[in-house]
Amino acid sequence: MRKLTTLAGAATLAAGVAFSAMTAQAANEVLKIGFVGVTSGPAAAWGTSNVRSMQTRAEWINEMGGVKIGNTTYDVEIVTFDDQKDPKRAIAGMEKMAKEGIHYVVGPNVDDGAAAVRPVAEQNDIIYFPYAFPKELYTAPASNAVLGMIANYQSGPAIYKYLRDNKGVKKVAFVAANESDPLSQRDGGVAAAKALGLDVVSSNVTYQVDTTDFTPVLTPVLQKRPDLLVLSGVAPANAPQLIRSARELGYQGLISTETAQDATVLKEGAGDLANGFISVGGASTPEIASEKMKEFVTRYTKMFGEYNDESNTKVYALEYILETMKANPKAIDDVNEFKKTINTLSVPNIYMKGDSKLKYVGNSSFGQKRQIFVPMVVNEYRNGAFETLFIAEVD
Amino acid sequence: MEQIIVNGLYLGAQYALIALGLTLIFSLMNVLNFAHGQLYVIGGFVTYTVSVKLGMPYIVALISAGVSLAIIGAILEKFLFRPVIRKSVREESTMLLAAGVAFFLDALILLLFGEKQRGIPKIVNGVFNWDFRIIMPYDRILIGCLAVLFIVLFITYMQYSKTGRAMRALAQDKVAAQLMGVNVELYSMIGFALAAMLAGTVGGLLVSITGVNLGMGGPTSIKAFMMVMIGGAGVISGAIAGGFILGMLESIGLTVLSDFGDITYLVIFASLMVFLAIRPQGLMGKPWG
Amino acid sequence: MLTLQAKISALAFALLLIFGVPYLIEISGRWDLYYTLTSVALLSIASAGVWLTFYIGRINIGQGAFALVGGYTSAILVVKYGVSFWLTIPLAGLMCILVAVLVGLPILRLRGVYFAMVTLVMTEVARLTALALPITNGAKGISSIPLPGGVSLFGLTLIPDFAELENVKRGFFYVAVVLMLITFAGMYRLVNSRIGHLCRSLQQNEELASSIGVNIAKLRLIAFSISSFMGGVAGAIFVGISQSIYPASFPVKDSVDFMLNCFLGGLGYVFGPMLGTLVNYFGWDLLFTAGEYQLLIYSSLLIFLMLTLPNGLLSIFSKMKN
Repeated sequence: MRKLTTLAGAATLAAGVAFSAMTAQAANEVLKIGFVGVTSGPAAAWGTSNVRSMQTRAEWINEMGGVKIGNTTYDVEIVTFDDQKDPKRAIAGMEKMAKEGIHYVVGPNVDDGAAAVRPVAEQNDIIYFPYAFPKELYTAPASNAVLGMIANYQSGPAIYKYLRDNKGVKKVAFVAANESDPLSQRDGGVAAAKALGLDVVSSNVTYQVDTTDFTPVLTPVLQKRPDLLVLSGVAPANAPQLIRSARELGYQGLISTETAQDATVLKEGAGDLANGFISVGGASTPEIASEKMKEFVTRYTKMFGEYNDESNTKVYALEYILETMKANPKAIDDVNEFKKTINTLSVPNIYMKGDSKLKYVGNSSFGQKRQIFVPMVVNEYRNGAFETLFIAEVD
Repeated sequence: MEQIIVNGLYLGAQYALIALGLTLIFSLMNVLNFAHGQLYVIGGFVTYTVSVKLGMPYIVALISAGVSLAIIGAILEKFLFRPVIRKSVREESTMLLAAGVAFFLDALILLLFGEKQRGIPKIVNGVFNWDFRIIMPYDRILIGCLAVLFIVLFITYMQYSKTGRAMRALAQDKVAAQLMGVNVELYSMIGFALAAMLAGTVGGLLVSITGVNLGMGGPTSIKAFMMVMIGGAGVISGAIAGGFILGMLESIGLTVLSDFGDITYLVIFASLMVFLAIRPQGLMGKPWG
Repeated sequence: MLTLQAKISALAFALLLIFGVPYLIEISGRWDLYYTLTSVALLSIASAGVWLTFYIGRINIGQGAFALVGGYTSAILVVKYGVSFWLTIPLAGLMCILVAVLVGLPILRLRGVYFAMVTLVMTEVARLTALALPITNGAKGISSIPLPGGVSLFGLTLIPDFAELENVKRGFFYVAVVLMLITFAGMYRLVNSRIGHLCRSLQQNEELASSIGVNIAKLRLIAFSISSFMGGVAGAIFVGISQSIYPASFPVKDSVDFMLNCFLGGLGYVFGPMLGTLVNYFGWDLLFTAGEYQLLIYSSLLIFLMLTLPNGLLSIFSKMKN
């Protein structure tokens, strides 16, 4: 055991030295920010787009000479942990972050992981930014989780309302993968649609994520003749197939989802059939992307070969952590200071045109500010790219 | 009704092709190849790379997927499975090896082809629509027919070629075949290569319809296991039957049970367990395969 | 029976785990190791169960299902019925025995790959059932489960209230390690008992065993039940630690891992699953620094191990003897 421990220590040290040798420029101090999420296996795309956007931003900041917090300038280092989408591993990852002295972690990417790390995060004073929607993570007495994006129960109603008022949608059908996250999102969507007075014609149909033919899945749904087909919590891998199958079965209505998608994946998987597909995006559509956002995309592409549009929604968490620390330097190792600043932070959003602000929200959904404020950009896919359909806000 | 049957047939054809390779390996070497689904995924990615990135015609891409997988299969057999089978006390040890290979291929796929879903443009446009009783896109019909063609080719090959006969002899009785002068090592390698090629070919066929991503390997293996179980492990006809039965079950289940929500697969799995409890060797398997 | 030397080394091992490891952790400051070692202990309990089914000649890829059943049993009892967490651990195990008997009666007749594949499917069945049932709270899972309370007998505190514990991780570490020691001591006893010898005869030739009057059906069911009990116990404690459970808490990958742990350690050795779990878990963890190459290196090592030691790590000793 002892041998293993020392071995582990030695390996960590060696890698740490190697890493800092590679990245060290000036003699800046290092500020470590953690990432615990899934970067291998079937859901690798979620965590990968996540961690890559953090790494891109960190390298960018370091290249510019680091981030100044209080009187010290830091280089940002992203410490990553692959939890393999296993909640038990996610706990180990959070423990590892605690041991590294990290107080701010982005992730995990799924509901069960986010719930499982909660005890560890609270015991070790870690603020974490999950991409998971269960409300009890963010409502009191929980206080260490900050929702890193817009929840489907926030974007769903906005989308349905828009489509009801502007496209005459009356009948809605839901399909979801037979897994926790999509099913929870479907239930939230159904409730939201009903609250808006829409007629939910089908909400029971589910599919296995490894389905290779969606025709039998969609046939009974489309027989109910909905005006809007909602793909609840759909994985980027399944979205193009579902769209394609629906269109090939002759479905003429609208298709939407509340998760972020990638334009290239849609183009390759469904081609022109995906035209008109509505999803929630981040900030890279030409109408709203600032020069900084464009530079971010360029840098990302240069670093990793290809951009992933899912990263649009994931540029923000790291930005919020750093901005909050800048606003209150004591927050750098004191999460209580961080929580205080959560209530007051307001700085310009560099990724968006106009005078959008970075601030924490969540009062109406969680009763406390435990969500980052990002523009809710609802996109429409057209010929290989996303166009902005409308932009809304969450409070 | 017609739609359900057509859907089932289409699914069944692609499933059967996957199950064939798995059962071939099992019959020859008693190895449950956990990495079969990964071979399928590699086939899809190779086809994608050749046809989209290199801009070659689809048929070239499909052939290169088959060829490269055959090579990978041969390598896996010669350098990994053969030495482990020779050395281990219990033949289950090959399962650990197969699982290790599955992880390895998963890692390789992630590094080589990335984390994104990939697909190639439709090879044929348009949808066949018979009075809304049967709706089937033409590319699906084409792929389904190709799958059936490959199955027929495979059976013919196994039935009439010298290699095929040797492999069947091996599968039936290894010792006897060896005594009759069949080169066990050579034909095991050919068999593994052939099975990998089948898996790669299905991947190449389906990438034009469902696309491919690195997560599809494991679940595909599990589905293939199920088909092999239904039909009987190590029996070629059983694998084909298993594939079509599972395809049909999925198609019918999803339609009939659609109102009950999340239970289609639960029902399929549960009935499979009951079926095996009653008939432990599957439909056509040797008892205690 | 155990030699004196074996008894002393077993005792030394137990003392090392209970006192030595926490001491080493304190002085090295590697607090995160408490959780990883707790995980290893719990996973090795579940793996020991799988090992036992290997012992009767069955490849079991379904232990994840029992861990999930155990986990949900504990979570439901604690949250909905206010049962003490400590009591739910054996209850979770008993629930798993019940399921094991119901499922085992038909499927234990299967052999070889058939049994393997049915158990593999069983893991998926467990997940889908958890998604479909109302009592498991479906897709939303059960979260915010309170920490285990204390247990006292006649005013004497046997187990402190975990919510008031200064270091919860260490608390769970002790629980897991003690249970692991009990498990493996029990396993050792079992394997060297009459039942153990009978099980070994099953592994070699069921027909022969049956012909000399062994009630093989009963024996198989007993072994499978014990195996499932262990899976349930491990699952229940994991729920205590993560204070939550979801349908995907113990996926197919876990079932495969439990099986791999047994192989890795060596199917011929009682302590194989313990070593296998340790190596498998830490192998992955140590490669944490390899970043995107983690899985590649890990799987290469796994394959390399198979090529050099196809009968498990512990076979290295018998190799050296020869």
